[in-house]
Parts: sequence; structure tokens; C-alpha cells
Amino acid sequence: MRNFARHLPHYMALFGLLLAGFAGFIIFSYDKSFQTAVAVATAASYVLWGVVHHFLHKDLHIETVVEYIAVASLGLIILFSLVIRS
Amino acid sequence: MSLVKTLIHLFVPHESNNQKAKILHPSSLSILALFLIFAQIAITGLSRVYPTVLGCASSISASDIVRLTNEKRIQSGLSTLSENSILSQAALAKGTDMLNKGYWAHFAPDGTTPWSFFTQFGYKYKYAGENLARDFCSASATVDAWMNSPTHRENVLSSNYKEIGIGVLEGNLAGADTTLVVQFFGNSGGSTATIPIAKAQGADTVATTKPAATVRPTPATIATPTLSPLALVEISPFKTTKDLSMAIVGVLILVLSIDLIVVRRKRIMRIGGRTLAHIAYFGMILAIVLILKAGQII
Repeated sequence: MRNFARHLPHYMALFGLLLAGFAGFIIFSYDKSFQTAVAVATAASYVLWGVVHHFLHKDLHIETVVEYIAVASLGLIILFSLVIRS
Repeated sequence: MSLVKTLIHLFVPHESNNQKAKILHPSSLSILALFLIFAQIAITGLSRVYPTVLGCASSISASDIVRLTNEKRIQSGLSTLSENSILSQAALAKGTDMLNKGYWAHFAPDGTTPWSFFTQFGYKYKYAGENLARDFCSASATVDAWMNSPTHRENVLSSNYKEIGIGVLEGNLAGADTTLVVQFFGNSGGSTATIPIAKAQGADTVATTKPAATVRPTPATIATPTLSPLALVEISPFKTTKDLSMAIVGVLILVLSIDLIVVRRKRIMRIGGRTLAHIAYFGMILAIVLILKAGQII
């Protein structure tokens, strides 16, 4: 939690982009292609946030980047599979 | 390895998994992603092989749509619409036209207007309207979706309309198994309408159309659209995918929360992503999964 308080601006930015992604899904609920674009943009922003955050924290490693990509990809596939069936 | 050890290895940071639950390792996440892709392929395949078990989930009936539409009108202090068999036949013809020509729109690619179906079946209108829906699982979800859209709601609650006709049909629309609902509203305004005004809800245009007075087929000459009977199905592909997604994301959030607590208590130092960030990301995914609903309206 101490780490969280220390990086509060970083986490605020993260929560902001995730909130924007969620809002985008609601706003563009009438268009699947927009929803797909929002999902891709959010996942890419998440990976980028991870890279920048760890770079500034001076603990950026390839394993970390791979982990963020794996998490983002899984989330993306979940959203894709639902959007195509919705 | 005992069951307990296996579970600890999979879900709790431990020496055996390099202080990170095995399910959170990138390799495991990739396997989960591949599993989801194969699950989607399997669902699609099964829904084609066993369409009555895993296919288009539909329990929508025309009478339910009429009843629910009238309930909404009564709640708004409006008179109810009477079901008109000619409008229902016209609505079925519109749905059949969409399936045959493979389009999902108020106006067909060849320029056929919604109003041509009214006149084709001999319905002279003063006011006419159309709402379309596809892929909903129930009549209530369909009517609720229309009520949540300002333009479709305007149609449902318009005092201009006196009659309603519903077409519910199932078929393959542009490669996808689909349940279509066509809702036609009309007001014949007597039999001597001169210049009818047709308004397509969901479309931006207001068309002024002169009815084709010479085209008035009698009910006996109207060809009944050849439709497959609605299949009552047990499992919806969308719901199956949604349940599977919720289960996977739920387990991951739970394991990440355990990870957060254990790492903090044991003061474990390791190379890797931020657990709190992962929880936030999967939290957003879970929120989207929860709000996503099947079905489209235009």
C-alpha cells in the first residue's frame, strides 16, 4: 500500500484510462467496430502504462513487459469473444 | 504432488512457483487465452452441428412483443395498438427479405423501402413506422432495448399509430445464425389516405411516399414466407461465452488478490508487473463483461 501511495499519480492515470475504456464501451454500445477499437486502445494503453511505470521505477525488465502483454492479450480476447457474439 | 500442493502451486505465491501463482505466469495466461480461442471455435462448431442445443437462443413470440409494447403504452397513458394480420404478414415479408438479400437495415441495398411492404400487402397508411431487432433472447429484452433508445421509444410511444404487426423469424443473416424481430406500426386513417407520411425510426430520413394504389393483393394471394420454425434452444452461445469469461476473470482477480496479500505480508521481492494494476485491468474487463448484452436494434 505504501508503494501505491508513492505512485499515486501513476495509478490515477491507470484508473483514468481504464475508466475511459469502460465508458467507451458503454458510449459505443451501438457499434461493434468502435467497441473493438476501444478494447484494443485500452489494452495497448495498459501495456504502455506498465512500461512507463516500471521504467520510471527503474525496474523495467523484459519479463515484466511480457507479463503486461499477456494480461492485456487475455483481456482483449475475452472482450473480442463477447463482442462478436453480442 | 498432492492436491493441496498442486492448488498452492497454481494459486498461491510459493517457492515451487518462484513466488508467483503459476496461473499468473505469462505462459499460463497464454494457455488461458488459447483455451478461450479454442472454446469459441468449439461453440461456433457445436452451434452449427447441434443448432437446437447450442444455437440462436430465442423464446420470442410475436404476441409477447405486442403485449409488452402495449404495456409500455398503457404505462405512458396511451391507447393500446391492435394487432393487424396484414401488418404482421408485411413484417414477416420484410424479415424474409433481409434474410434472402443478406442485409440488416431499414432500406434494402436495392432501394426497397420498408413502406413498400406495407403497400405490397395492401395496407394503406397515413402513418407508418418500423423498429428492427436481432439476436435477443427474450421478448422483454427486445422491447426494453427499444425503450432505451430515444428514436425507437418514440415509435413505441407514438400516438400516431393505431395498429401493430410483428414478424419474428430465424435464419442465417450474412453468415450468422440470427433471430430477427420486425415491428411494424401503422395507422390506416380510414381507407382514403392520400399522401401518407412514412417515418423510419433509426434512420435519419423522413420519406413522403405515394402508395401504389394498384398493388393490393388479397390475403389469399399473399405468399407465406418460407421460414424455419423457431428452435427452442437450451444454451445460448453468448451466455456460454459470458459465463466462461466471468469465471476466468473472477478466478484471476481472486488469485491476484491473494497474491497481493501474501507478497505484502511475506515482503517478497520479485521481478514482475504490479498486481494492483492487473486487478484494476481485469476489474474493468469484468465490469464490461457484466454490462454486455446480446442483441442489436436499428
